[in-house]
Amino acid sequence: MDPWKLPISSAIQRKRLLSQSYTSHASASPSDLACADRASDVIYLLLIEPQVITSKFSVFSFLFVIGAQNAWDILLEEESMTRITTSCAELDKILGGGISCKEVTEIGGVPGIGKTQLGIQLAVNVQIPSYYGGLGGKAIYIDTEGSFMVERVLQIAEACTEDMTEYGRFLGKSIQARQVEMGPKDFLENIYYFRVCSYTEQIGLENYLDKFISEHRDVKIVVIDSVAFQFRQDFDDLAQRTRVLSAMALKLMKLAKKFSLAVVLLNQVTTKVIESSFQLALALGDSWSHSCTNRLILYWNGEERYAYIDKSPSLRSASAPYSVTSRGIRNSSSNS
Amino acid sequence: PALICRILPTRPDRRAPNSFPVSTATAPIEGEKAMTALKSLEQEFPLLDINFQSFCASHGILTIADFLTHDLHSLAAAAESQPASLRLKEGISQVLSIVDTLHQPWLDGLELLQDAMDNKRVLSTGIAAVDSFLHGGLRVGQLTELAGPSSSGKTQLCLRLASSVAKMDRGSVVYVDTGNSFSSRRIHHFLCENDDTGIVQRVMSRILRHSVFDINLLFNVLHQLEFVLGSQEYREGCKVQLLIIDSVSSLITPVLGGGSSQGYSLMTSLGVLLKKLAHEHDIAILVTNHMVSGERGNPKPALGESWKSIPHVRLLLSCNYETNTCNISTLKHPSLVSSPNSYMPKKATESFS
Repeated sequence: MDPWKLPISSAIQRKRLLSQSYTSHASASPSDLACADRASDVIYLLLIEPQVITSKFSVFSFLFVIGAQNAWDILLEEESMTRITTSCAELDKILGGGISCKEVTEIGGVPGIGKTQLGIQLAVNVQIPSYYGGLGGKAIYIDTEGSFMVERVLQIAEACTEDMTEYGRFLGKSIQARQVEMGPKDFLENIYYFRVCSYTEQIGLENYLDKFISEHRDVKIVVIDSVAFQFRQDFDDLAQRTRVLSAMALKLMKLAKKFSLAVVLLNQVTTKVIESSFQLALALGDSWSHSCTNRLILYWNGEERYAYIDKSPSLRSASAPYSVTSRGIRNSSSNS
Repeated sequence: PALICRILPTRPDRRAPNSFPVSTATAPIEGEKAMTALKSLEQEFPLLDINFQSFCASHGILTIADFLTHDLHSLAAAAESQPASLRLKEGISQVLSIVDTLHQPWLDGLELLQDAMDNKRVLSTGIAAVDSFLHGGLRVGQLTELAGPSSSGKTQLCLRLASSVAKMDRGSVVYVDTGNSFSSRRIHHFLCENDDTGIVQRVMSRILRHSVFDINLLFNVLHQLEFVLGSQEYREGCKVQLLIIDSVSSLITPVLGGGSSQGYSLMTSLGVLLKKLAHEHDIAILVTNHMVSGERGNPKPALGESWKSIPHVRLLLSCNYETNTCNISTLKHPSLVSSPNSYMPKKATESFS
């Protein structure tokens, strides 16, 4: 196969190949080809074993090799995927069961509405074992503001353990015989906590997360609280901030897809002045609003806390009330 | 230096098999012929012997493309000082005559019309109001951009379009997803409105989703696609009718600006590659773009001024939350009148359920 026919992106690479008059000697089997999970690896293998490719490759088999999936397979996969419950039935209902993995969800709201509480609740709920209908995974909590209170996490974990035992008793399962019951301390042990104090630390941490999660494969949720805090100061050049943020968003998307985990970003609000009228909008600007798969807005409606699905590819726009209790996020008291 | 004379070529036939001689069995893809190494031409044209090749290599010329970008008069002047100068100059004019055979064949107006009627169809988006606004839908062979603020329905329109084209059964759909927003559940919902499960499974297996989070990976995917579409086996396999990139702005924004021009050149070469794919392989391409704030606080599509000239059709989507309707308007269209200054909704208003 001639190097100049190959789909190599850079003209410089092609020229280098030509100047070295590349010849093929090694051989690669079709299974090697199928295992190559980077497109550039496939091109490299193409260089080596051209006749593997030129024999009987239709569009689909070729594209499968470079990591495409067809919609039907994705549907089957999605339907079998467990979601992370928020412990509030109303909220779970509008979310279609809970926070879904492989997606980046942004949760924004005014201060005091319960964003951190929801983040902590999710970090605890992801650990619910699979025999109780949970994911049985670990959590990574990245704290940029310092609002993570360990005592509160312990309180929520205790409430979760009590709920689990009650649920087990309700179902009549003799769980104690089969599995070791999880205690509140176990919940705390499964949360990896990172504290960042500047935006460079935050970016550095996000780069490190790939390696960390490769070593700790049971991490199923990454909560960043809050993603905006470090970026609202120190940045004189807003264009640079946009570039940095969009690169960060892509990395988080890739992380969510690659390791099949949920990424939850908690965001602050800011006031936007539009023609001498004030409006509340999420921080970090317009271009950041495109960097998440789903967005949930938390707001006050009178005395009640409500959550509204602002952006989702598959969920209908809806609102649901919830409340923050000593046991964590629960159903709104007025409804139950 | 002696004048280098060139012979005017006769008009090559577009449909004739590629008769360009190369040392290996398969012929190069049209358009890539310029990258042919001079070495490989030696067999057919004995003038381009090893002496000529090493003379060219000493000037950094290894392929025909290099030849074209080099200053030919200075090359001829350098050839003058060489021992076999006459032969070298004959070699140069030989290469130039080869170059003359490499250009794309031209078409007259009737052939263009025939091609447009046979190959360059219009793809329905699945939404009647949008179809009537666009006079049928998206045109094959054109690059369409869909810009809009966050959660205005861009992804929904893309998913709707994908399911509508897949249902037509004339080809497959390649969906490049940069934000994990491909929802197969939504596609299933669109398809299940009319059809039963057996057909739905077959239709859904025609939609392929790539997750791409890097602009270089996007180039890889597009080059792969170009390679596959140009190969012999593809013609017997399943045709690609539609390519959707949702969203192209999230891939380009991290590399744009910052003092270096690499981002702009990447963006422009992406545009060139997409338009080439669309035209040569009869694909309709839809890309989505987000909005940024422009002057006086009015939002405008992202990616700046240089991007504006790249898509053939530019559409603007906006959503009215109170009435739950979406409006679509044109910023640029080759055959529809668009108003450049105002962002008022134009003719179509339809609601997304």
